[in-house]
Amino acid sequence: MKTFLKILLASSLAISASAKEIKLLNVSYDPTRELYTEYNAAFAKYWKAKTGDDVVISQSHGGSGKQAQSVIAGLEADVVTLALSYDIDAISQQAKILPADWQKRLPNNSTPYTSTIVFLVRKGNPKGIKDWDDLVKPHVSVVVPNPKTSGGARWAYLGAYAYALETYGHDDAKAKDFITKLYKNVPILDSGARGSTITFAQRGIGDVLLAWENEAHLALKEFGADNFEIVTPPLSILAEPPVAVVDKNAKRHGTTEVANEYLKYLYSDEGQEIAAKNFYRPRNQDIAAKYAANFTQLKLVTVDQEFGGWTKAQATHFTDGGVFDQIYQP
Amino acid sequence: MKINQLLIAAFVGAQFVTASYAADDATNNSTEAAEIAALKQEIQTLDQKVSDLENQRQAQQPVADSADKQQIQDLDQKVRILSRERELDQDAAATAAKSAPKITLGATGLGFSSADSNFVATIHGLIQVDSRTFSQDNHVQGNDSFLLRRARPIITGTVFHDFDFNFTPEFGNATPGATSAASTPSIYDAYINYRYSPWLQLEAGRFKPPVGLEYLQTDTATSFNERSLVSDLIPGRDLGFELHGDIAGGVVSYAAGIFNGVGDNQRNTTDIGFQNDREFDGRLFVQPFKATGIAALQNFGVGAGGSWGSSSITNTLGLPNTTGGGSTSYGFSTDGQQQFFAYSATTVAAHTHWRFSPQGYYYYGPFGLLGEYVISDQGVENSTTLKTANLRNTAWEISGGWVLTGEDAAYNGVTPRHNFDPRNGGWGAWQVVARYAELNVDSAAFPTFASATTSASAAQAWSLGLNWYLNRNIRVNASYSHTTFTGGGAASATTAPASVSSHPESVFFTRVQLAF
Repeated sequence: MKTFLKILLASSLAISASAKEIKLLNVSYDPTRELYTEYNAAFAKYWKAKTGDDVVISQSHGGSGKQAQSVIAGLEADVVTLALSYDIDAISQQAKILPADWQKRLPNNSTPYTSTIVFLVRKGNPKGIKDWDDLVKPHVSVVVPNPKTSGGARWAYLGAYAYALETYGHDDAKAKDFITKLYKNVPILDSGARGSTITFAQRGIGDVLLAWENEAHLALKEFGADNFEIVTPPLSILAEPPVAVVDKNAKRHGTTEVANEYLKYLYSDEGQEIAAKNFYRPRNQDIAAKYAANFTQLKLVTVDQEFGGWTKAQATHFTDGGVFDQIYQP
Repeated sequence: MKINQLLIAAFVGAQFVTASYAADDATNNSTEAAEIAALKQEIQTLDQKVSDLENQRQAQQPVADSADKQQIQDLDQKVRILSRERELDQDAAATAAKSAPKITLGATGLGFSSADSNFVATIHGLIQVDSRTFSQDNHVQGNDSFLLRRARPIITGTVFHDFDFNFTPEFGNATPGATSAASTPSIYDAYINYRYSPWLQLEAGRFKPPVGLEYLQTDTATSFNERSLVSDLIPGRDLGFELHGDIAGGVVSYAAGIFNGVGDNQRNTTDIGFQNDREFDGRLFVQPFKATGIAALQNFGVGAGGSWGSSSITNTLGLPNTTGGGSTSYGFSTDGQQQFFAYSATTVAAHTHWRFSPQGYYYYGPFGLLGEYVISDQGVENSTTLKTANLRNTAWEISGGWVLTGEDAAYNGVTPRHNFDPRNGGWGAWQVVARYAELNVDSAAFPTFASATTSASAAQAWSLGLNWYLNRNIRVNASYSHTTFTGGGAASATTAPASVSSHPESVFFTRVQLAF
């Protein structure tokens, strides 16, 4: 009987001490597939070594605005890693599943890496595109996603608008005229960044793609550097894609601890290196210096400086009836 | 040499010949020299013109080529853009289709579903048009009749994936021969069921308590128009909460609930409980071979259901229902829905009431067999003499059937292999059914709680029937039931239960049923 009890006790301890398998869902925007595929593997290894538990991370990608709406509609994201803070604010305000001050919970306003908008042109740059004002010339065809659904497209739009404001002494009427001309040269709007890359690189449409910096590098890698080249304009927008734990979902799934650590680890040396290798500009200055060759230096303006923050920028430009609706004629 | 140069040479040659002839004229020598000079000048002018034309043509050629190339590129881009727009439209349409609600219409009703199936609503319906023809009604008026036995719009569905609901009003169920033959619309089923998993579900509302096997069988699948004498001792629809589930894919099914409590074959119609005390009902049913490969035993099931309730007050609502017409006393009814036993007007339910019902079925191929036994231990009190007793009434039945056309018989009914379609040789499914049932009233009921001169102390009924399943939605029945009684009323009696129990009941039923 004693032997039986010992076996029973040992079995119980063994069961209680056995590794757990934790499932995590990261709902992200379009061009981060490769980044998080690499990062998830690194984090799973780190977490296994630290806790002994297996963590299996699923990824969901799409236009940032659409992804936010999916989470609001009930997609059970444990974490969101979206293109801009406005989309996570929308989740907080409409679904109330994470607090309004979510951006204060991690360093750098919860943006562990940054990016910007660059131009991807065809090899030899046949249209001679060097700067934003080249995009409004006649017979230049520009490919960019729909800013109503794509975070990257909103960054691109604001990058162009910021250029016009800087160029025309912050004359809003002239900037609006500039952006109108630019979007007259846009023949087609995809819903997300990856779709626009396909339009430009695979379907052969347009002379220039306004792309996330990492997406442009990925296109070179995927579709051939002998077919395309990257043009970095002298001025562009500082894109700050934020990350956040979706508190109520994580709590319900019992994943709060691992979700928090998952995002914190993005700030670790390994996380920052993975970001840099995937052409996201790391926050860690040492790692940024190490990967300086990956990133062309340019003047970066912020949404706060030029547009008074995302809330105001969204209300002015991208809500129904906003500037974009006024200037864009399909 | 080019054509232009040939023309010039010819022209010059002609002029030269003309000039040679002229030179023969000696008087015109000085004029000749002047003409030659003029010709040379003219040749130079023409040569210059030709040269200019050639240069001009060579200069225009690249411009034309470049314009053509640009036009071709523009057209190529337009074609690519149109193609991509079509591609995006198709993607958008596919995405929209994924999120679009679905509507289905078929043999199982009219269904609406959200794209992710988390929200579902289905409209079903049940109509049963019956006839009852008694061969000897012994002065009981109005029993021969066509009647709308059931007329139910049924709405079932799911919200948020795990919460099912059922709302079933009844617009039929008129009782021939009753004081009022009018149908009174009422709610039969109204419940919400939370599915944590197939083996753990919680149901709340009005529904059938988990006691009787025959009673739990859906109204559309019963072998005969009316359930047997066994169901006289089973609680009808009641209000309460029930924990239930199917374990191992239905090998074990369990249900346990707390209800307001109703009398035998009573249906809770008040939407509230009649007392503070509650009734506990439960059922365990096992199909031990369901998950095995032994086809001959897969649809063999046995189990038991039961109930227990203790009333701190006396009442009439704890007694059986009054169905049967001609009498408002509480009692038991025949297959023909005529009352053959009634408690005395001074009898009320009191104290404990428990039931126990072992039950089972067996289906294999076209053969089906269902059996059930029930004890209903009814506490009663004579409100005048205050005498009390626990009356142990019992009933049992066994029914069987054979599907002549070879389809599988099942607890949930028969699905025809070939729908009725005589133009194409389809005749539906045909099934013969038979049943024997008995009900025995505790002898202690007489005479304190029931009159031995008006009520029978026992009934024995046998039935034969033919069921025709035209398709999954339409069924036509015809059956004959014969019930004999022990004890009962005098031959001259004119009101139930004496008029019913005074002689055997023979009744011919028909039914046309639409169920979807």
